[in-house]
Formats: sequence, C-alpha cells, structure tokens
Amino acid sequence: MRGISRAFPGVRALDDVSLTVEAGSVHVLLGQNGAGKSTLIRVLCGAHHPDAGEILIDGRAVRLQSPADARRLGVAVIFQEFSLVPYLNLAQNIFLGREPRGRLPGAIDHGAMHAAARRLLDGLGLALDTHVLAHTLGVAEQQVVEIAKALSQDARILVMDEPTAALSDREIERLFDRVRVLRQSGVAIIYISHRLQEIFEIGDRITILRDGRNVASLSPAETSVDHLVGLMVGRQVTTTYRGRFRDRPGEVLLDVRDLHAENGIRGATLDVRAGEVVGLAGLVGAGRTELARAIFGADRVVSGSVRVAGMPLSRGPVGAVRAGVALVPENRKTEGLALMRSVHDNVLVAGLRTLFPGGWYRAARAARAVADVIGRLRIATPSPARLVRFLSGGNQQKVVVGKWFTAGSRFFIFDEPTRGIDVGAKAELYGVIDGLVAGGAAVLMISSELPEVVAVCDRAYVMRDRRIVGELKRLGSSSDNVLTEQNILRMAMHHG
Amino acid sequence: MASGRQAEAGRYVRLVPGAGYLLVLLLIVFAIFGEGFATLPNILNIGVQGSVLLLLALPMTLIIMTEGLDLSMGAVLSLAGVVLATLLMNERGLAIGLAAAAGVGLAFGIANGVLVVTLGLPPFVATLGTLGVAQGLALVLTGGQSVVGIGEALPALYESRRFGVPFSILIAAGAFLVFWLAVKWTRLGSYVPALGGNREALALAGVRVNLVHIGIYAAGGLMSGLAALLLTGRMSAGHPTAAIGLEFDAIAAVIVGGTSFERGKGTLTGTLVGVLTIGALKNGLNVMSVSSSLQVASIGVLVIAALVIDSTLALRSSFR
Repeated sequence: MRGISRAFPGVRALDDVSLTVEAGSVHVLLGQNGAGKSTLIRVLCGAHHPDAGEILIDGRAVRLQSPADARRLGVAVIFQEFSLVPYLNLAQNIFLGREPRGRLPGAIDHGAMHAAARRLLDGLGLALDTHVLAHTLGVAEQQVVEIAKALSQDARILVMDEPTAALSDREIERLFDRVRVLRQSGVAIIYISHRLQEIFEIGDRITILRDGRNVASLSPAETSVDHLVGLMVGRQVTTTYRGRFRDRPGEVLLDVRDLHAENGIRGATLDVRAGEVVGLAGLVGAGRTELARAIFGADRVVSGSVRVAGMPLSRGPVGAVRAGVALVPENRKTEGLALMRSVHDNVLVAGLRTLFPGGWYRAARAARAVADVIGRLRIATPSPARLVRFLSGGNQQKVVVGKWFTAGSRFFIFDEPTRGIDVGAKAELYGVIDGLVAGGAAVLMISSELPEVVAVCDRAYVMRDRRIVGELKRLGSSSDNVLTEQNILRMAMHHG
Repeated sequence: MASGRQAEAGRYVRLVPGAGYLLVLLLIVFAIFGEGFATLPNILNIGVQGSVLLLLALPMTLIIMTEGLDLSMGAVLSLAGVVLATLLMNERGLAIGLAAAAGVGLAFGIANGVLVVTLGLPPFVATLGTLGVAQGLALVLTGGQSVVGIGEALPALYESRRFGVPFSILIAAGAFLVFWLAVKWTRLGSYVPALGGNREALALAGVRVNLVHIGIYAAGGLMSGLAALLLTGRMSAGHPTAAIGLEFDAIAAVIVGGTSFERGKGTLTGTLVGVLTIGALKNGLNVMSVSSSLQVASIGVLVIAALVIDSTLALRSSFR
C-alpha cells in the first residue's frame, strides 16, 4: 500500500500511509486507539475507498471496489466485530457464500462442508460439533470459528485485527502455531494487537501509526517495549485545562469495593473524592463503560459494594440518580438528550423531582432553574426554547451536564465527553468539568484520549480485560506511577 | 445439572417449538371433549382448512426470518382469485387462469421486494401500501361483487382425491416439500438466516444480498397467487375480499411455530406445527360449538402461550 490517504468529515483518518508486507511474514500494525489502523484495514479489504494512494498486490496496482473484489484477490480479514450468523451452524458459517456444491444442480454437499469445517476446527483445536448453532458459542469459541472462516478462503493476505483479545493462553498458542504454518506456506499476514509480548513472539516487522501517519517501521530485534510505547505516544504536550489541582481532596464521594458485575467486570475497587477528576483509561473493550454502567446500576452487580457519599446504592439507575449520581453517556444523542425537544425541556427532565417535590409543575420556578443552568454552563443558545438538535456538539454536551445540575447531582460520570466535538468546545467542556469539581463535586471520566486524561485528571485508573490493573497519580511516588501517557499505555497493553 | 443434556440439545436447532406441546395438548383435550373430533374425516378437514394458510405461512416464515413482514398476502390472494375466476368465467381455461393468478402474485411480490430492499422502506409500511393497492384493484375489477359461474373444472379438481387424500392437502404437502428441500439442500438455507442474522456477513461473503432478499418477497407474492387456486376452488367463486386478514393468521402461525422477528431464527417445520395448531384449535372449538368471536380470542391466547413456552425454554437452556 502506497501513500494511502482517507478523510472522513472533520477527520483526516489516514495521511499518506504506506505499508509493505512480504509474503511469508507477519507484519504487526501498532498504534493507539484512533491511530488509523482500522481505517487502513478497511481500505485494504475494499470497504473504504482511499482518497489518494494505491494498493499493489504482487507488484500490480489493483482497484478494490468492494469486499468481493478484495476477496477474489486473496485478501481475508478477521474483524474484531464478529461476522457470524447466529442461527446458522458452524459449517454453514465458515462456508457462507462458498458452500461446496453437490451433485444435483443447486444443491449443497453438506457432508463435504461439515468434513472440511471439521478439519479446519481440528487444526485450531476447537472440539465442538460443527452442527452447533453459532449463537450458542462463547466469545472465544466464536473467535476461533471466525479464524477458521478466514483460513478456509485460502487467503494470500490475511489480516488479523486483535484476534487474541478474547482468547486464553492455550488458545493463543494454538493460534500462533497456525499462524506460523501459514507464514511458512507463503501467506502475508497483517497482525494487529495491543498485547506487546505477542508482537515480539510472532512479528517479523512492526509498523507504527500515529494520528493517521507512518511513524516508524522496524524489526522486533531493534526495539523494545519502552521504545514502541514512546513511538506510539509521540511528543509530550504538557498543557492542562484545569484551574488548579487540589492538594487535598475532600470526602470520599464514590467508594467501590471488589465489584463484580454480570457484564464481566471483575473485582473493581476504586474511590473518587470531592474536588477530584479521576480518569478511567484503557483501550477500547477494556471494560470502562461496563464499569461505569455497573456503578450506575444499569448493569446487574453480582457482588461487591458501591457507596455514594457513604450510602450504599441500590435499585439500579433510579437509586443512583436519587443518590446524586449523574451519567453523561458516550452517545449523547441517543442516551443523553431528546433532540427534538427544547433546551428548557432537556435541562429539566432529570430535575423535576428535586425542583417540584410536591409534584405540581410551576413554570416560573422551572424557567428560573433553566436560566440558571444556561448561565452557569454558558450554553450558547438563542433562547431556552431552542431545539437541542440545532445546538453544536459542545453545547449539546453542556445541556446533558446541565440536566444533572437541576437534579442536584454531586458525582458525575463522563463517558468519552469530548468525542465528536471540536477543539474549542473541548477546552470549554474541560472548563465545565473544572468548575464542577471546584464546586465540590467529583468526576469520574472515561476517556480513550491519553492527552486528555493526563491534562484533565488528578488521578487515573487503568483498565485491561475488565479489571482495574493500576492507578496513576499526578504526583506519583516513583516514575512508574506518575500520570503520563506512557505509563497509561504500558498498563493498558498486555505485556510481561 | 439436570438440564445439561437439554442445554446440549439447545445448541442445535430446537426441533420442537413450544407450539408442539400445545398441539399435543389440544389434540388430547379435543379428542376427549369434542364429539366427532378424532375421526378421520374431521382430521382431513383440519388439513383442508389449513392448506391455504400453509401456502402463505411458508414464504411468510422466510420473510419474517429476514426481519421482514408481508401484510399484502391476503389482499394479493383475493386479487389473484378474482382474476382467476374472471378468466374461468370467460372460459379461458384453467391453465391460463392459474398462470395469470401466479403472475399477479409474482408482480406484487417483486414490488414488495423492490420497495423494501431497493428503496429501503420499512416492510410494515411497504406491504401495507401494496395491500391497499391489491385490495383496491380487486374491488374495482369486480365492482365489489362476487365472480360466479366459473364452470365445473376448478371445483371438480378441488373436490378430487388421490389415494383418498383431498387435492388441497396434496398441494399444501407438495409446497411444504419444495420449501423444505430448498432450505435443507440449497444455499437458501444459509442465506435466509444470514439475511436476518448478519446481513453484513453475507454481503462480505460476496453474495448478491439484494437479489436474494427480493427473491424471498417474490416467493411470498407467488405463493399468494397460487393459493388463489385452492381458495377459488373451495368457494366455486372469486370474491374480492375473500382472504382479507389471512396474512395475520399466517403471521400468527409462523410465530406460534417458534420463528422470531429477530436474528434470523426460524424453521419451516415449526411453521407447519403452527398451522396445524391453529387449525386444530379452530376446528376443535367448532366441534365444541364455541362462538366464532371467542375463536378469534383463542388464537390470540395461543400465540401468547406459544411465545411464553418458547421464552421459558430458551431461558432454561441459557443457564449452562
């Protein structure tokens, strides 16, 4: 791939990226969330068209108009999102669209199909009956079937996007054995993983992307974990958006102990104090949103305790809201706002019970409360009657925050608060967060953007595989536990 | 642990839908309390009454498995019946009449498919629209009157038997066999669950997804047209509103048979059980002289009961 560029509205996802993969080698693609890895893969498999640049296979320039084109040229991709059909059996899934033909015209040779599927699954060490329906499989089993599906295509270029994310150590060993066999037989493999030790075990060549650009291409022998992490993070920008960091935070507002939840959260223990912004960092899929949902009571807790200002939480989201917990969700348009209603209505919706304890609505009091929120958060709207749909992303986000103001919330959970809003609005939103904690509230902020975590948070917990794996502090006691992008990335990626 | 084997079975297609248990229960109850229910003529009668419903329910199963719906079947069936009866009245012959009925059905089926697949209309809205068009055409064509005097050929064919089995049951059985073989032995068996369960995966596999999807709606129209043969034969006439609402019985039968509106789950065998269950219920209540208004309510209860049984079974097998 030479000089590939691809832009999306507002983002330059790929900027002049080149990647050369040799037959019979494993090429590792490395980069932070949003570095452009997925976009590059989608270009290679024909799902996205590049704005500029060319793709050469066997030295010949090719045009990939569709995934079918890419497949014909021998490109097979194992995506992170599973592509299995829930109510088809394993053999049907593996050979979907390529069913072996039987003797009668139009007929499928079920015997041959199941036998071939059996051989593929045996090679990967999955002992399940091929007649089993895909939806009954666990995540790891599904991943293995997914790999079998890609292998069945006799691909010459095989892309594996975090194939080991859901696998156990033994399954990973089996997978690597298969990968080595494929490499031996001349397949070119592009391998994406966040587990650094794997990269050294299986990789022949490493290319690092950052902000949609090539940063480096090197061999594992000439690098180290620290070096790679440094390349992924890049230059340190030490800006902060906070007015001041408090030396002595106040009382504990959120106290979570050994929380296990049905959504997979295992043994999470953390606390957030009044006046603090605490980050929840980690890679996509590490379980940050799940932890927030478990704390908020939106997903069922199995064991452990969640206390807000000393009081145990119960009764799910209703209890959480009454205890003063506010969730500012990632998808503000679907989970946080009623887009076709006014600023006035949106701001009031969570605070009706607090504002009107008697149950009777009073327009004047409502208008005062809304005006107060608009003023305090400096929401740029011509009038409270403006439909939220017409506000900018940053102002919409402020409306979501404002809604919890009227509810009297003191503990805020922000899930990716700056996703999809522009730089100016970001700075203003950081100002809002700063104002919240300065006023005695506590904030737990989930963020995939490392610079944001470092610039805004007093402390941060790092998650991996649905566990909290470490805590970093602005004023750490040693270089290993200071809040820096390198340290976050080191903890978030599996190695050692 | 006691449910271990059952859970294991749950990993394959569950062969007996919840309605299977209900059907057995109904048969036992009616056999005991309904006088004349458990006689061969009456059992055959259930089959005859269910034959038109099965012709619609078979393609409806596939359409619902693709997370779709076809509300126009009853109206298209009425229109095709009117066309068939009119041609017979004018002595154009059975073959031409049947071809025309099938053609009308196929045209509406393709129209449904194009509206839903190509133009992206919600199936509910698209087929509600074609329902109106078909119903309106049927009324315009006949001036709202029944088309009588269709000659003896079709009624005679309808009354005929082979090996003692009524004609309509043979047709319904043949249709079931064709659909069952198509799902069991051709790629359709993979494509239909994939259209509902993971359309993206099917497209990435290089399959011409839209064409297959339209084809399934076309099959729905074609079967509605062909069903006109049985309905017109039974009534010895074409009536413009004869089959109004039949699509809802078909949907009920499909749901009772364990097919889901989500994720591409469903079986044709389940639909057969669903059609028989609804048929047995109606017939049994008739035998026991229950009023027809209460029969409508009982179908509603049946649908809910079947769904409750299915979700309870699914819940149990999910605790592995």
